[in-house]
Amino acid sequence: MAKAFKYGLKGITGYLEPAERELLRGLLDDVISMLEPQLSSNEDPLTALIGLDMNVKEPSDRALLRLLPNVMKNDDAASLEFRQLTERSLREGKIGALRAAAMGLDRNELVLTPEEAKLWSMALNDVRLVLAERLDIRDEADADHVHAMQDWSQAEDVESYLALVYNFTTWLQESLVQAMMASMDRKS
Amino acid sequence: MTTTVGPGTAPGIHTATCTVTDAGLKGEERTETSEQSSTDVLSAADIPWNLVVWNDPVNLMSYVSYVFQSYFGYSEAKSNKLMLEVHKKGRSIVAYGGKEQVEQHAVAMHGYGLWATVEKASSSGDGRGRKGGARG
Repeated sequence: MAKAFKYGLKGITGYLEPAERELLRGLLDDVISMLEPQLSSNEDPLTALIGLDMNVKEPSDRALLRLLPNVMKNDDAASLEFRQLTERSLREGKIGALRAAAMGLDRNELVLTPEEAKLWSMALNDVRLVLAERLDIRDEADADHVHAMQDWSQAEDVESYLALVYNFTTWLQESLVQAMMASMDRKS
Repeated sequence: MTTTVGPGTAPGIHTATCTVTDAGLKGEERTETSEQSSTDVLSAADIPWNLVVWNDPVNLMSYVSYVFQSYFGYSEAKSNKLMLEVHKKGRSIVAYGGKEQVEQHAVAMHGYGLWATVEKASSSGDGRGRKGGARG
């Protein structure tokens, strides 16, 4: 069974069983494939090189839109213009964090540097945002409802399974953030 | 999947969330001394753009506070106060400045997975009229 992340002499450490690592790897890979930009053949290589994407659109998938939100609430045109300038690098940054976390999953004992811990917390957050969209978590009541699912023997269908997975990643991220806070306290 | 990870996860989550909330409430009493970041140096009249962070039911309170501390360099007390404002009021202006500056902050927030937007300070009632120092 997984152990909560903690901060100690070796830094931030955690422990995951092989099945848990496989589960997390699958989740991280899913989000990576959502975020990988579609390659278009007629793209100007120079604009791609400097991170522009003039063909970008507001995502139609709600989960993807949550990962790559509009920068302005009531101005779609300005949001789109901003997206053209920034979305590609935002995607790349997120993919980088997700890959870093996935690469750390090759052993049971996790020992994270401060930078790795930061990337892990970002990656776990993005995984949770996607799971939450799939679970249709819209408000605190929905979140409480999902949170009540704690017993793996209740996992009878896809939704209850997803809820349990969501609760596991929530627990893992919470313990990681607490460990990161403890390490920040120690240094300050 | 194993059946070993389910029971025992809930107390961890619950306890940790409460701890942060308590810290935030206690922290409000000693916020006056917290340092101002460079974002707060200009006076409110000169800086017409706000960075707004919105509440959502997914992001952990502890994580949101961590992001405010590590990215903006805000004190733990100030970060918890802003986080609780997001949580209770649905949104909080967490920084302000020139348009490019707050846009850069917004992308950074999106990188962390926080739901952030930029807006002209005059487009909402709670942007203007607060002096930089009052954000404590």
